[in-house]
Amino acid sequence: MRRFTNLLKKEIKELVNKQLIISLAFTVIIFNFIGQVSKKEVRKAIGVQTISALDQDGSAASQALVKGLESARFKILDQSGKTKEEAIEAARTGESKLLLVIPAGFGASLTELKPSEIETYSFMRSFSLIGARGQVVVQSVITALNEALSNNFLKEKLPDMDPASLKKPIKSKDFVIVQDKMAEGSANDVAGMISQQSMLIPIVLFMIVIYSSQMVISAMAMEKQNKTLETLLTVPIKRTSIITAKMLAAGLIGLISAGVYMFSFKGMLGGIGEEAAKAGAQAGGGAALMQKLGLTFDTTGYVILGLSIFLAILVALAMAMILGVLAEDLRSAQYMIMPLMFMVMIPYFISIFADINAVSLPLKIFILAIPFSHPFMVSQNLYLGNYGMIAAGLGYMLLVFIVLVIFAARIFSTDKILTMKLRFGKKKAAVA
Amino acid sequence: MSNVLTVRGLKKSYGAQMALAGIDFEVRAGEVFALIGPNGAGKTTTLRIVATLLTSSGGEITFLDHDLCKEPDFVREKISYLPEEAGAYKDMKGLDYLHFMANFYARTPEEEKEFVDRAVAITELGDRLKTKVGTYSKGMTRKLLLARALMTKPVLAILDEPTSGLDVLNALEVREIVRRYVKEGTSVLLSSHNMLEIEFLSDRVGLIDKGLILDTGTPTELKDKHQAKNMEEVFRSSLR
Repeated sequence: MRRFTNLLKKEIKELVNKQLIISLAFTVIIFNFIGQVSKKEVRKAIGVQTISALDQDGSAASQALVKGLESARFKILDQSGKTKEEAIEAARTGESKLLLVIPAGFGASLTELKPSEIETYSFMRSFSLIGARGQVVVQSVITALNEALSNNFLKEKLPDMDPASLKKPIKSKDFVIVQDKMAEGSANDVAGMISQQSMLIPIVLFMIVIYSSQMVISAMAMEKQNKTLETLLTVPIKRTSIITAKMLAAGLIGLISAGVYMFSFKGMLGGIGEEAAKAGAQAGGGAALMQKLGLTFDTTGYVILGLSIFLAILVALAMAMILGVLAEDLRSAQYMIMPLMFMVMIPYFISIFADINAVSLPLKIFILAIPFSHPFMVSQNLYLGNYGMIAAGLGYMLLVFIVLVIFAARIFSTDKILTMKLRFGKKKAAVA
Repeated sequence: MSNVLTVRGLKKSYGAQMALAGIDFEVRAGEVFALIGPNGAGKTTTLRIVATLLTSSGGEITFLDHDLCKEPDFVREKISYLPEEAGAYKDMKGLDYLHFMANFYARTPEEEKEFVDRAVAITELGDRLKTKVGTYSKGMTRKLLLARALMTKPVLAILDEPTSGLDVLNALEVREIVRRYVKEGTSVLLSSHNMLEIEFLSDRVGLIDKGLILDTGTPTELKDKHQAKNMEEVFRSSLR
């Protein structure tokens, strides 16, 4: 144990170097910066926005429209008395994001129940989504006004009828059924909320796998590059202890690095999603729907998910160990991470665009054969009660891990640790 | 004099390439046995097999009455190996490196201190041991590694080209250190293609070429046998 601890301490010290601390600090600072900037932009977009209005009509209806915009937290710059061209020019040079032109005859057309036109001119000074928010709000104000005007008209003409029933004679009441549970709501919303809930899983997994694997591969490559591996292999410590120490150190540091990364990432998203808190009631409704459908995790669910991610990390570390043996130096170590990256990316992207359970059989076998696919499927399988599938996934990952560790231990206890090489663009190396 | 190491019919092949074709030699207690031969003769392969790094393809190796191939863990406790192109962890300070390596062999903190003190004395690097290994010259690194190899007073020190790449003064110092430790009971198996070094250091020599031992004996015996003035002439004569 003393020897193992000695090696583990050295591996950890080697990994916690200036580069790691600087890159982690840099990540925190950059993400925090992006979060702050985004927060400011979102606040600006949510806050009072300036638009110009040229009311050429001056009717009660046109004034109602402008008032409606004022109540939707817009600051209105009145351009009355100008021609359309002058108003466009004034708005363009000012800070207005949009110019609303209400032509003469707008009120009269409304009264005569003829289609009434208004014109909007959006000044695109940036192409960000937040920047285009002004026009979206104006459109929703116009939609609301359309609704109110047509309701008034219908009430006037058919006082005994409900305008809403006249406009939408068919109403749909949507229900979602998941297994034996049913709740009122739209399937689209449920799918959206599930994807939002499980969005962090692939990111966490991806980050830890890449961080830790890169560390293991680099640690092995460093031993080779610095010519320290041969000495290490002749000291009295079991080869399995060498493998375990390297994997454990990389796993620990990888976990901490991913934690820091996730914390910063969450902070950044928190900055951008400032409105999320305000939409609390809406989210609460969503949460109630998910609760009714049983689409929430209990403690057991989280334990299973954690176990699945943990096993995936172990598999990645064991794979990285073998790939590290193939790397001759730090440069080739950078290429060695590629197969692992692809193995994580394939199930990640497929899980975004398709239902893994519904793809063709050969593709399904291919995906299920990749050990990293299983953590992506755990939350869905938990929701749908596919416990057999979850158990099979966990068992499969454990099996792959054991096979890989035995293989790695075999490599370490034979000549292969010194003779196995993979060179890029060169023929097999001769052995001295 | 009893044998520390006995090698009989040792063979090693890498696929179709035969590196050792069945070699015999032994290292006696308290002696320096040197394998000399040209590049690719099989010296390093032999040393790596004895150091438990490589497995043999045939033959027997007995180390202190134990089968080296079957009990590598026992062997690793008693030997130390200095590869030809060895390095130390560049980000570690010299002293930390010695502590790190001593920790694998020491059973108590007192023993660890004893090993490190001995290594510090061997290196003669003084305060430079408090700086990172990455800043050392080749000679300093080699001395550090030699100190690491000898600090535990191993039963058998396996040194592959111990003075490779060193200047005259550093090479001389390294040879003196090795001789001193042999007097204290460590046996040495080394390889070299520096014939002068062999004459100075070795008690007995094995001439190796193309995976075969051509001749074995003390430098004096070999010179007499081949009627040669020095080991270089001995080697040329044995090749014929």
